[in-house]
Amino acid sequence: MSLPLPPASNLHAILLVTKSRSLGPRLVFHYPPLSPSAAALASNKAPAWFGNQTSTGSLDDSHSSSSDWGSSTENEGADDDIEAGSRTSGGRGSGRTSASHRDREKHRPSAGGAWGRQDSIDEEDADLDDDGGRKTNGSRKNQGGDYDWNTVLGFKVDALEKMLCPANRSFNKRRFELGVENIVFVGAPMFVREDGLWKKARRKKDKRTLEEKQQAENALANLHIRHPDEKVVHRREGSGSTRTGSFVYPEGFEPGYGHGMISGAPSGAVSEAGSDTRSNSTTDNGPDMTMFNVVFVLNPPALEYQLRVKYMYDNVTRKYAKALKHEQARFQYVWKESKKIINIKQRAKDNGDSLSMAWHEIINTSPLAKSIAIMFDAISNDKIAHIHFDATFNTPFQIPQPDSTPYLPNALEPQMPGLWLTTSNVIIEEDNDAPVAQHSALLLLEDTETLVKELEGDAKGNTTAIAFYLRNIVPTKSLQKISIKHNILAQHIEYIASHLVYWRRARLIPPLHPRDTYILSPNADMGALQAAIPAYATRFPTSPPLSKMLSMLSGKPRPYRTFIPTNEHREAYMDILAWLMRGGWVTQLRTFAWVRVTAEIKAEVALELEREAAIKKAEEVRRQEMSDNDSLTESMFSGTDKRSSFLSANRERERDRPGTPLRRNRRERERERELDDEQMDASTILSPRTAYRGSPARPASDAGSTSSNRTTIPLPSVPTTRPISPSQAQVQAKPHRPSPLHLKAASPSRAQNTRSPTNAHKLHLNTHSLSPSLPSPPTTPQTYTPSLVSSPQKASSLEARWLEKIGQTFQIQHPHIADTNSATNPDPAIHDAVVGVGLGEEITENWPILLKYFDGKHALEDIAAREGIKRKRVWGWITAVREAGWLVVVRHW
Amino acid sequence: MPTRAIKAIFFTRFHYEKGSRVLHQVPEGSITPSSSPSALSTPLIPFSSITSYLIPTQQFCDRLLTFCTNHYRVIGYPVCIREGKYSRNEFIFNFAVVIEEGVGDWVAYGEVVRKMGKLLRGLEEQGGFLSREEVGMGIWDDDEDKGWQKAVAREVGWDQGPVGGGSKVYALCEMILEDLNNYCECMIPIDDSNTINFKLFPTHPPPPPIHPYQVPLLTISLSSLTSPISSDLTLIRIIPFINGIHSVSHIAQLADTDISLTRKAIQHLVYYGCVLLLDIFSFGAVYAPTAEIGGFVTDKGVGEECARYVRVPRVELGRGSGGIQIGSGSEKSRDERSSLSSEPQRNDITSTATAMEFDSYARRGEEEDCENISHETLIGLYTSLRQGLTLKSWVLENLDLLAGIDVRRLITFGVIKGFLYRVHRYAISTASSLPPPPLPPTSLLGPNAPTNPSNNNINVKNHDSDTATLRPLTHKPSMASTTFVPRDNGVRESGLKHHDKERLDSLLTEERDALPLVRFLDGMHCFDEMCTELGLGEKAVEEKIKRAGEVAFLWR
Repeated sequence: MSLPLPPASNLHAILLVTKSRSLGPRLVFHYPPLSPSAAALASNKAPAWFGNQTSTGSLDDSHSSSSDWGSSTENEGADDDIEAGSRTSGGRGSGRTSASHRDREKHRPSAGGAWGRQDSIDEEDADLDDDGGRKTNGSRKNQGGDYDWNTVLGFKVDALEKMLCPANRSFNKRRFELGVENIVFVGAPMFVREDGLWKKARRKKDKRTLEEKQQAENALANLHIRHPDEKVVHRREGSGSTRTGSFVYPEGFEPGYGHGMISGAPSGAVSEAGSDTRSNSTTDNGPDMTMFNVVFVLNPPALEYQLRVKYMYDNVTRKYAKALKHEQARFQYVWKESKKIINIKQRAKDNGDSLSMAWHEIINTSPLAKSIAIMFDAISNDKIAHIHFDATFNTPFQIPQPDSTPYLPNALEPQMPGLWLTTSNVIIEEDNDAPVAQHSALLLLEDTETLVKELEGDAKGNTTAIAFYLRNIVPTKSLQKISIKHNILAQHIEYIASHLVYWRRARLIPPLHPRDTYILSPNADMGALQAAIPAYATRFPTSPPLSKMLSMLSGKPRPYRTFIPTNEHREAYMDILAWLMRGGWVTQLRTFAWVRVTAEIKAEVALELEREAAIKKAEEVRRQEMSDNDSLTESMFSGTDKRSSFLSANRERERDRPGTPLRRNRRERERERELDDEQMDASTILSPRTAYRGSPARPASDAGSTSSNRTTIPLPSVPTTRPISPSQAQVQAKPHRPSPLHLKAASPSRAQNTRSPTNAHKLHLNTHSLSPSLPSPPTTPQTYTPSLVSSPQKASSLEARWLEKIGQTFQIQHPHIADTNSATNPDPAIHDAVVGVGLGEEITENWPILLKYFDGKHALEDIAAREGIKRKRVWGWITAVREAGWLVVVRHW
Repeated sequence: MPTRAIKAIFFTRFHYEKGSRVLHQVPEGSITPSSSPSALSTPLIPFSSITSYLIPTQQFCDRLLTFCTNHYRVIGYPVCIREGKYSRNEFIFNFAVVIEEGVGDWVAYGEVVRKMGKLLRGLEEQGGFLSREEVGMGIWDDDEDKGWQKAVAREVGWDQGPVGGGSKVYALCEMILEDLNNYCECMIPIDDSNTINFKLFPTHPPPPPIHPYQVPLLTISLSSLTSPISSDLTLIRIIPFINGIHSVSHIAQLADTDISLTRKAIQHLVYYGCVLLLDIFSFGAVYAPTAEIGGFVTDKGVGEECARYVRVPRVELGRGSGGIQIGSGSEKSRDERSSLSSEPQRNDITSTATAMEFDSYARRGEEEDCENISHETLIGLYTSLRQGLTLKSWVLENLDLLAGIDVRRLITFGVIKGFLYRVHRYAISTASSLPPPPLPPTSLLGPNAPTNPSNNNINVKNHDSDTATLRPLTHKPSMASTTFVPRDNGVRESGLKHHDKERLDSLLTEERDALPLVRFLDGMHCFDEMCTELGLGEKAVEEKIKRAGEVAFLWR
């Protein structure tokens, strides 16, 4: 699945199971108290086609369609059974019901129908009723549900207990995944160690230093903004004023989070307490509890099964279990709480109390139970659960949600209207250097004052500092600029940013700028428009109405500043833009470019190469003459002839001559010469080629040869790295970076292929074989076809030559080319473009910098900020380059 | 379906004294160590730690149970038969399949296991298929309690089957594993009345709702299939009209089928991946590149595919040779295009709007003189598409580059590949008072649904406009071709004074036009939808909308 999944946890219950020597397997606690029966979960699926209704505007339409479709096909189930096999009917049936079903709240599974016949479960339940006399049936459960102490999820408690307690330690810290029909129990069983401890004993000395370090790091961790959904807010007591320079990860973002809690405690207090545990637990005569397992009950749709389970396990289940284990190690937390819960339950059960009453009591008494309840409420609603176990330990849990996608779903794909559409968040593998965050701006998803107020309502100290930060965060300035302007440490601002992003209060965006272009996002949630109009109107009463704004932004793309009537309006309009950005209404139209290499350049470079080869040849001859070795001279003479035929082989792209051993030997020898040459002619280095150095695709010998303009010889291996012939291009051209963004496999010519699979292929081959093999390398541009350099950073040596050549054109005129080829030149402006001398030199100078961005993956809008060059200058260069016809430019988000 | 996804199949039985035991496993040694020479050296999964999930308590029997261990997913369907003839009145077994944990679509295997479990249960209940074999092979005989099975057999009075032919259950495991791994299906006759039929069905996502204004395009040639694909009459009727040009409602008209049934039929095709959904092509439409355009630019292979797809074949169609064809209006051009591409359909009785025309012409050898469309040209064309630029003006801008290129196919190719998207146009009412909750569009569906309460006591002359409003949704193909002029009805009438009548008319039509339109003005209904529902061209709709009140137009 290439699209991000819409947030849907599919969580339906959380169970805590323990295994102890005294009580055996025991289901200690489950939440919610009245769990849906497994059969109900299986059959109550609301398989939904999510999202599309809003985007195509058919909230009402769905009603209508359901009514008319339904009326026309009432016996649909029967028809389907006749028509298709067993399982497909489920799928299709679900598709139909989906049209009418639109429960956005919780049940938003996307592919429910595939689970086969749901009736089988009901049938089985009926069987069970007969057999065991249990009340598993939905209706009966509802009657006696609140007093039904013996079943959970429609299963007998004792049976469930046994199933959820894995037998041996081989399950320790592993994913426990048990599927019963289409519900799945995901747990992370934690076993006690063989020595009776819950964690490895550590030497005391380590702990000290660690503690100090942690304490220092915790200084910043006080910055804490309350989430409205979280029930418990705890701020770590600590010296909030001591600011350390080191960057502190927000909670849950620590590298190797989770492991840290086992091997290295996340906070000083915690690790200190760890030592108490040891004494505690060792004093006991072996631990009573040998295992506990927190089990999350999900019913993911079949197609999303693996991902949903993985998300839940990785982000919530495992982390939570580890946190519990940590607490258990400290002071038998889990077992103590479990005993407490079991006691309350037993008492309530004996008294004949209702479940909900008992649960009320349990949650109020036991922090563990409360944490499970909080966890369930938050996670099942796709929110962030902020759990705190005690005064010193608290941590948030969430299943991360995508905040943007580069991928616009088509009509057949699940829609996520309102999701921010952009490529700016796509990580480009090549840039592993500078952290991008500091060039981004922070877009608060709520008003600053709301956030500040929330903070003040919650905070105990130093809110003023945070409020100061928050108030200075503007979406029009990058974090770097803000930190410079307000003299805030970059680490602090980045910490706040990451924190806000984690808590879904902010998003990193490219800084908003009036000169940038913004359009109505194709992924905007039009269904929310009616609600947004009044909200917008109250927010910006004096500005043009929302519909007008969107209408303006949806026409021909123009820089945003053209919409701003006067300079005084500028700020207000930028606020509007931020507001629109926040709601996913607009997205930036970004510019992407590739370098287009014309035939002239190719011819020119080829000519140059030939000339160089000739010079080299002459030089070699001279050298040979000086040397006494006649036989070598002879072989070199013959070799040079062959070499010139290499050149022709280069140009005939289709040919690939295997190097004979003889040739290879000579090549090595030549290379030695080249090295000599290089030492001799070090002063003749043409241009800084560092930008192309070390590209892995290039043979190492190239590096040696390219630096000297006179000795460069195209080696036979060059053609294999040139992305000229299509087959090679496929190998070399990396799949377009955002992994979801590869072209879809669906091809319009598929039908053709299926019918006559070889036909097109044959044709294709014909064009190749029929094309007359070029007899000799003519250097006129006609023999070359213009092409694009897909990634200048990974250019082959020949491509690098081309690019370099292009870089020079801004400076120098090429009378030779211009004269001979102006007739065939498709774009006569190329060489005649009178680039101002100063500008031309500037471009040539900065050409390597610009080249980095001409790969179709980097937006040209980012250059200015990243390279620290004035915006205007950069655009001046780009415009000049573009006008000269060297760029293929496309704009998208 | 991943190939050879099933790593092992095994059959577990629970013996009241000996506990759970794997009786059959394929391959040998995959679950429990085996002395067989071909056995796997180490079992895939630790059997001892998972027996409680293979043979669970009764609560969990007769359900599909899966669990993961050692990076394998074990899918079992434990069956517990409670009958007096067995010792302890229970016969518990589990026929389970092992696949790798990461197999995404494991549900298909689950369905096979479930079916197998039920089937074995049936076989056992009918004739002791499982228990008899155990007795015959003396599986539990390794110890002294040999008498158990025999006693059962004797009590029930079965003949002991011939021993030595090998276990039938083992053979089943073996065959199922091989067949499902190699062919994704199997058919194994068991006896006169029972046959095992399995097929691994891939799980498909639920299909999206189909809207009347969407344009289906077949991805496979359904008509070339030898057997009819379905007994669905609607489906059979509409398939010839699915060509990537006609919208769903147009197809319904052409095929004379019910629109809702048509939608449903197309939904079925979508579900099975036979159909893609496009938008209505018109030269007034706007297309722009998506982020995936980069893939097209850098991938020469796609470029070549595109060049093959968009090239106009050199054909004499009676209206000039294959240059670029620019329709002036959407309707006209659409007709032109459709006739162009439906020409070969007449010949070949195929309906795919794919590269087949090209194919047929290539066969005739008319292809050679077509010049190649370079990747660069295509890149230039695609990258020059942008928001706010109608196709018409784009064509005019790029006239010289478009020689020999079929514009519709060029656009369609981009949309199919996902590097172009259609920028739809929406209208939202900017009037301060919001319209009442919109009526469902299907209020128009019924042939005589009154759109206006005053309809009944009004003279007949509004019939024209009435039917026109309903036209695309009624299913008479003849009506589709009639051109509709909304405001010409007054002329033919007599009785009332001309002037008054016209005023009344205009008032009525205004009201009538405005009312159904209001529901489209919430920004959720694109112009394609409105045009399809109202059966009007975009211009006419726009005019109507403008009359309906203050509106803003959005392109999205």
